Amino acid sequence: MYAQGQNGLMSTWREHIRSRGLAAWILAAVMMGFYVDLYWFDHLEPLAQALGLRNRWFLYGGLYCVLMVVGGALYLRRHGNSRYNQIRISVNVLVQVLLAFTLPYVMPLLGGKEFYFSYFWPLKYDLLLPDTLSKLPLYLSIYALVGSLIAAPILAFFFGKRWYCSWICGCGALANTFGDPWRHLTSKSTRSWRFEQVSIYLVVALVIFMTAVAGLGGLVGDAHPGFVSFAGQTKHVYGFVVGSILSGVIGTGLYPLLGPRVWCRNFCPMAGLLGLTQKLGRFRIRVKDDMCISCGNCSAYCEMGIDVRSYAQSNLDFTRAACVGCGMCAHVCPRGVLRLENRWDLNADKDKQHLVVLDF
Amino acid sequence: MKFVIIGNGVAGTEAAIALRHRESDAQITIISEESDHFFSRTALMYILSGQLSHRDTEPYERDLYARMNFVRVRARALGVDTKGHQVRLAGGLDPVPYDRLLIACGSRPRPAPWPGSDQAGVGHFVTHQDLTWLERELHGGVSKAGPAPQADAHLAYSSPDSPYRVRPVAAELRGRLARTGAVIGGGLIGIEVVETMLAAGISPHFLIRERWFWPVAINQDESTWMAQRMREHGVHVHLQREVERFVVQDGAITAVRTVDGEDLPADVAVVTIGVLPNTDWLAESEIQRQQRGGAIVVGPDLRTSDPDVFAAGDCAAVEWFNGMRRPEQLWYTGRDQGRVAARSIMGDDVRYKRSHWYNSAKLMDIEYTTAGLVDFGFDDMWSWFLEETGTVRSTTRIVCRGQRVVGFNMLGRRWDHRVLIRWIAERRSLSWVLDRLQQAAFDTEFVPRLRIPDEKRRQATQPA
Ligand SMILES: Cc1cc2nc3c(=O)[nH]c(=O)nc-3n(C[C@H](O)[C@H](O)[C@H](O)COP(=O)(O)OP(=O)(O)OC[C@H]3O[C@@H](n4cnc5c(N)ncnc54)[C@H](O)[C@@H]3O)c2cc1C
Ligand code: SF4
Ligand code: SF4
Repeated sequence: MYAQGQNGLMSTWREHIRSRGLAAWILAAVMMGFYVDLYWFDHLEPLAQALGLRNRWFLYGGLYCVLMVVGGALYLRRHGNSRYNQIRISVNVLVQVLLAFTLPYVMPLLGGKEFYFSYFWPLKYDLLLPDTLSKLPLYLSIYALVGSLIAAPILAFFFGKRWYCSWICGCGALANTFGDPWRHLTSKSTRSWRFEQVSIYLVVALVIFMTAVAGLGGLVGDAHPGFVSFAGQTKHVYGFVVGSILSGVIGTGLYPLLGPRVWCRNFCPMAGLLGLTQKLGRFRIRVKDDMCISCGNCSAYCEMGIDVRSYAQSNLDFTRAACVGCGMCAHVCPRGVLRLENRWDLNADKDKQHLVVLDF
Repeated sequence: MKFVIIGNGVAGTEAAIALRHRESDAQITIISEESDHFFSRTALMYILSGQLSHRDTEPYERDLYARMNFVRVRARALGVDTKGHQVRLAGGLDPVPYDRLLIACGSRPRPAPWPGSDQAGVGHFVTHQDLTWLERELHGGVSKAGPAPQADAHLAYSSPDSPYRVRPVAAELRGRLARTGAVIGGGLIGIEVVETMLAAGISPHFLIRERWFWPVAINQDESTWMAQRMREHGVHVHLQREVERFVVQDGAITAVRTVDGEDLPADVAVVTIGVLPNTDWLAESEIQRQQRGGAIVVGPDLRTSDPDVFAAGDCAAVEWFNGMRRPEQLWYTGRDQGRVAARSIMGDDVRYKRSHWYNSAKLMDIEYTTAGLVDFGFDDMWSWFLEETGTVRSTTRIVCRGQRVVGFNMLGRRWDHRVLIRWIAERRSLSWVLDRLQQAAFDTEFVPRLRIPDEKRRQATQPA
């Protein structure tokens, strides 16, 4: 595998399953059905037990791992990928297999607690509630607090939100492996951008509200039973709507119809907060001046629905809050116009002068 | 003011937008035959393979005409009446009057000179109609990316000699899709068609008249290296072979016969032997054109021989840095010329200046960047050349005059042409450049750096 090879042409729109053909609709229906069953029924329990797994969630985890590994291999083959994506996708899948499946499975066997090192607040929305924290051993509660509130934003400031969304996160890992064949389906319309701007910050507001209320509920304890039950309900409703329906049934179920990042783009509160940090930070996509041929590959293959071409054809370096740094716009660009980078030397831009006249 | 623009390619569209930004009340009419919306011609190959939808290749939202209040006429212009200030249209439409006219009518394919080239199965790859033709030959129609824009909505308002007409489809005569193919002409468009044929499961014959592939841009070493890559992908590369005629059966071609008498089987043959300025329709108009080729002669303000008529893009012969006058058939220069022409039309004192040569391309899976002077056959120039093997396969060629660097020709890696051009303008020496080459690298993160072996570095001080 070469470090810088793009493959030849893709036949994306000539494949039924990738162009919203019947097969894509059937697959979407099956996947949504699967999530409904997983969340609210226990038909999968016997199968899980038969396979020697603790419960149906580990069955789901195992399936997830298989899809990521197989999908990841296909992803690299499909795009003949760059070294950046080879490393990124391997790390992401490895992190998920180890930290989101193997370790949580093994820890209780060793007498510990089932803990997911790869999830932070606000994606794992109940992680910082007094209820949760108090049940964790001290080092884990420190890990959760520091990870969520200090380390995550600092890393996003310096490296962009990609450090999480495209290198660690499970939703990102599935989207970029199993979900990759559908990345071009993410809508690029201005309307979808407006929707995203409202929906994602709405969820951010909701998760902060929910955490505050539930946190307070945990603190006031039995003194105000009315408030405690209100707090419990808020958490429950948030979990049902955001945690199950938006991230699972819709977010993943609609891959074959709306692209693999429906959840990440429109609803994930973690992506929302890290995106704001990214806007202020050092990550950006650099554009080579006057080299873009407006072909549209970058925009088409941006899974976050960013119209990358509009920046590229106007010679504008850019940082968009939504960008998860998957690197695919840069990879598919046939003229090598785009480059993801973390700026260390902030003065480097000063010499971005215009081209000079040649004299021979 | 009445502005009329012929052509909605990159030059015409960018000019129209620039005009509208300043002249909010002017009437702006765009006459163009080929397609309803401005699309990226450079992306034709991606639509053909199914990598992009047609909509993906349109640089602006489709409400552009409405938003910018452009009048849109989809018809063929048959001539310009410079005295009466109007454009004549085909299909019996009323002539369109103008105060200022911009001609941005682009290129047409150079026609194939061989017998049989008017038969089904032979075509080009330049226009939207060529794309439609080839989609039918290779795939039986458009991809599933939503309804395709109409390729022939303008037929009643066109003429038989227009390049914007769909060619006869051999696959439909024959009743099956093409299984074999040939691409004739070893240039950039040629290799793009080769690649789309590979993607359609055909291993094409690639006929190149010259001693090596793409001699105007790459030298024999680089080309041999490229030909190897092509053969790895299953392309039958034929160097120094010329076509005698097409072999035809029942109105559709079956093979390409070479001058040495071999029949190379081809259900479809795409002729990519260059493009010509698309200006025959101006034959009877009083606008000066070049004797050879027929490009419209323009001054530095992009004005033609008629003071109220301007030209930009592929059809305009502008002055190059070395004093030559010829068209620049490039996307970005077309965009710049369109914008300069718009300002010139509005009366600004502007000059279009050909400042530097650079370009990039992708040849199959190999990326290509060039900057400065890499022409061959100059006695006083020599090249420093490095071939890289391993996880990155690349070639680096730095062209020098004495010790001074005058050009770069790079395959396989990404480079920032702005830095390369700056070094050339600053008259840097080869060893100075080699010490800093990494500053011009534009590879994606984690790609190993280009390593220059010591003995190669030593060559920097001794002319080859
Ligand atoms: C397959 C292919 C690949 C290419 N790749 C690259 C690349 O990688 N990089 C690069 O820099 N360049 C590339 N080019 C060249 C680039 O596309 C052109 O330089 C550019 O599109 C020229 O734009 P234009 O506006 O001058 O003309 P065009 O885009 O050709 O537009 C001309 C328009 O004029 C209209 N027209 C013409 N005659 C008439 C008439 N008589 N009446 C009415 N309307 C008329 C047509 O409707 C047409 O839309 C490529 C070209 C092709 C064909
Ligand atoms: S802009 Fe590029 S790197 Fe960012 S999400 Fe889109 S494709 Fe990925
Ligand atoms: S893929 Fe590259 S050349 Fe094409 S529109 Fe995007 S930046 Fe421009």
